[in-house]
Amino acid sequence: MLKVENLYKNFGNVKAVEGISFEVKKGQVFGLLGPNGAGKSTTISIISTLLKPSGGDVLFEGNSVLDNPASIRRKLGVVPQDIALYPTLTGYDNLSFWGSIYGLRGSQLKTRIEDVSDIIGLNGRIKDKVEKYSGGMKRRLNIGAALLHKPELLIMDEPTVGIDTQSRSHILDTVLELNRQGITIIYTSHYMDEVEYLCNELCIMDEGKIIASGTRQELVELVREKTRINIKLNKMDEDVLTVLRGIEGVVDAKKDEDSIALFGSNADVLLADIISRVSEKGWLIETIDVKKPNLKAVFLHLTGKALRD
Amino acid sequence: MLSIIKLRLLRLKEDAMVFVVMTAMALGFTAIFGASFDSYKPTILIVDQDGSYYSQYLINELRQNKGYNFKDADLKTASEEVEEGSAVALVIRQGFQESIENGSDISLGMMKIKDDTVTLTIQELASSIVLKMAGSIRTADVTADFIKEAKPGTDIQAVKTAAYENVMDSWKYKTPMSVTSEAANTGARSDNNNLMHSMIGFTVFFSMYTMVFSIGTILSDKQYKTWERMLVSPLSRTSILGGTMVVSYLTGAVQMGVLLLCGKYLLKIDWGNSMSGILLVSAAFVFSVTSLGLMLSGFIKTQGQLGTLTPIVLTSTSMLGGCMWPLEIVTNKALLFLAELTPQKWAIQGIKSIASGGMGFRAAILPSAVLLVMGIIYFTIGVKFLNKNNA
Repeated sequence: MLKVENLYKNFGNVKAVEGISFEVKKGQVFGLLGPNGAGKSTTISIISTLLKPSGGDVLFEGNSVLDNPASIRRKLGVVPQDIALYPTLTGYDNLSFWGSIYGLRGSQLKTRIEDVSDIIGLNGRIKDKVEKYSGGMKRRLNIGAALLHKPELLIMDEPTVGIDTQSRSHILDTVLELNRQGITIIYTSHYMDEVEYLCNELCIMDEGKIIASGTRQELVELVREKTRINIKLNKMDEDVLTVLRGIEGVVDAKKDEDSIALFGSNADVLLADIISRVSEKGWLIETIDVKKPNLKAVFLHLTGKALRD
Repeated sequence: MLSIIKLRLLRLKEDAMVFVVMTAMALGFTAIFGASFDSYKPTILIVDQDGSYYSQYLINELRQNKGYNFKDADLKTASEEVEEGSAVALVIRQGFQESIENGSDISLGMMKIKDDTVTLTIQELASSIVLKMAGSIRTADVTADFIKEAKPGTDIQAVKTAAYENVMDSWKYKTPMSVTSEAANTGARSDNNNLMHSMIGFTVFFSMYTMVFSIGTILSDKQYKTWERMLVSPLSRTSILGGTMVVSYLTGAVQMGVLLLCGKYLLKIDWGNSMSGILLVSAAFVFSVTSLGLMLSGFIKTQGQLGTLTPIVLTSTSMLGGCMWPLEIVTNKALLFLAELTPQKWAIQGIKSIASGGMGFRAAILPSAVLLVMGIIYFTIGVKFLNKNNA
C-alpha cells in the first residue's frame, strides 16, 4: 500500500532523516518506534505531503505522493502529535469542519459525526466546547477528526502523549478496532508497550536512521539470549552459583543482593531445567521470576541507550 | 473554500467585540476630534499702523471671514504673541491708503514663525481684498473724471467716495464673473470641514485594525496546529487563503459601510453626490488592507506578535497617510513622499475629494487603482511568505 524509498530530509545542516526505506502492507498496524528526535515525525510529515523530502520518494498505491499529493490526501487520515482543534468551538463544530473539508455535507456529514463520536466515546460531550474537555477527551477528538472521511490509511503520530491511563487504554483499543474495520495504520510512539501491543510490524528509528525492522518476534530474536530468570533459594552460596552455571543454555549467572540472575536464550526450556536441577539438589525455591526480552531490551541492545518514557 | 468561509464566520463571533469596539472608537474619536477642530479658530492679530478709511475697510472685510478670530493689537503685543506661537499677525503699514489710491505697490506685513495654511490663507485673503479695493478705486476715479467733464463744478471727492462705496457694495450682491468647470457640474458643495476629515480619517484608521486582526486568524490556525492539518487535507492553499480573505474582506467592508452610514445619520455628514465613487474607493481600500494583513501574517508566527506589530505599523502609516490631520498642513517633502506609499493616503484622498471636494466618480478611479495595485503587491508577498514558512 505504501512504500518509502531511500528517504532523506535535511534542515540546513541537520540530517533529520537519512536514507530510510520501508513498506506498509494493507491491513497492517505498522509501528515507527524511536526516541524524541529520531525522525519519526519528519517521516510522517513527508508521507502526509506536509514536507518535501531532500531525496527519495514515497509511493502510495504505486503513485508518487511527491508528484501527485492529491492521490494520497483524500484517502489519508492524519492524527497529528499536537492537538489540532479549535478550542473555542464545540466538538461537534470541529468534527463538522474537518468532515466538510473532505467533501462531506448534509445528512452524510451528520451521520459520520454521530458514528465517529461513538467510536471515540464522546457522544455525551460532543456539543461542549473543546476548551472544556480533559486532555484525554481532546486526544480522542483529535483522532475522531481524522476518521470522518473513512480513510484507507491512518497515520497516528504519538496520539497518547500526556494523557491518563484510562484515556490511553481507550485510544489503544480504538486503534485496534479501526484496524479490524480494515484501516491500515501507521503508528509512531516512543512508548515501547504501545507499539508491542498494537503493531504487527515495526521499524526502530534513531538519529534519522532505521536501526532495525521486522515483526515484533523478529526483533526480539535479536536479543534472545537476554532472557533473564531471577531465582531465590533457601541456600545462596557459591556452590549454588556453580551448579546453576552448569545448566545447559545458561549463558551467565551472577548473584544480586538476595537473588541469583540467570541469563539464557529460551525461557521455557531453561525454566524447566533449572527447577529440575534445584529439586535434584534438594534445595527449596522461595521465589522465581522470568523476564522475557522486549523491545526496550532490543533498543538498548541496538543503540546502547534506553528509550525515554 | 466554502468550508473555510463557514469556519471563519463561526469563529468571527470570538472577534465580534473587536468589530464593535473599533466601530465605536471611530465614531467616538470623530465626534470628539471633529467638534474640537470645528470650534478651534486660529487667532489673527491686526496691527493697523495706517489708521485710514481704507485700512479700516480692509479690516472689516477680513472680519467677515468667520473661520478666524481677528483681534486688534499694537506692534509690540503682536510680536510677543507671535513669538509665543499663539497667533500670527497682519500688519497694515503706514501709507497703505496713499499706496492704494496712487496705484503704487502695496505692502502688507505678515508676522509669523513659519509658513503654514493659516498664514498662506490670510495672505491670500488680504491680497484679494486689497486687489478688489484697488480695482474699485480705479473705477471710482474713472467715474469721477467722467462726471467732472460732463458736469463741471461737481464735488469730485464726494463723487469719488460715492462711486467707490457703490462699487464695493456691489461686490457683496453680484458675482462679477462666473467660472465653469467639470467639478462644478457635479453640483456638490465645497465646504471642507474638520468633522468630515476626522470621520474619514478615523474610519480608515480603526477599520484597518478589524481587517488586519481578521486575516490574522491564519496565525491562530498555526497556533492551534490546525493550519498543518488543513494542508494535509484535500484543501488547496488557495482555498484556505481565499476563504480567509473573503471573510476578512466582508468584515472590513461591513465595518466601512456601518461607519459611512453612522457618519451620515448620526453625525450628519454629507458624503457628496457620488456614493458609488466612495464605495469603489472603500472596496479597493478594504482589499488593500486585507492583503496588508496577510503580508504581516506571513512575516510573523503568532497572534501575540501580530498584536504587537499591528499598532506600530497602522499608527505610523496612518499618521503619514493623513488619518490624524490633513496632509495639506504637511510641508516636508520626505513625509509627503512617504504618505504616497500608504493605502490610507489614497483612501482619504479618494473619499475626501468626492465628499468635500465636490468631485464626481472619476475622482475615485486613480486612488482605487493605486489601492488595488498595493493590495496585489501585499497579497503576493504575503502568500509567498506563508508558503515559504510551510515548505
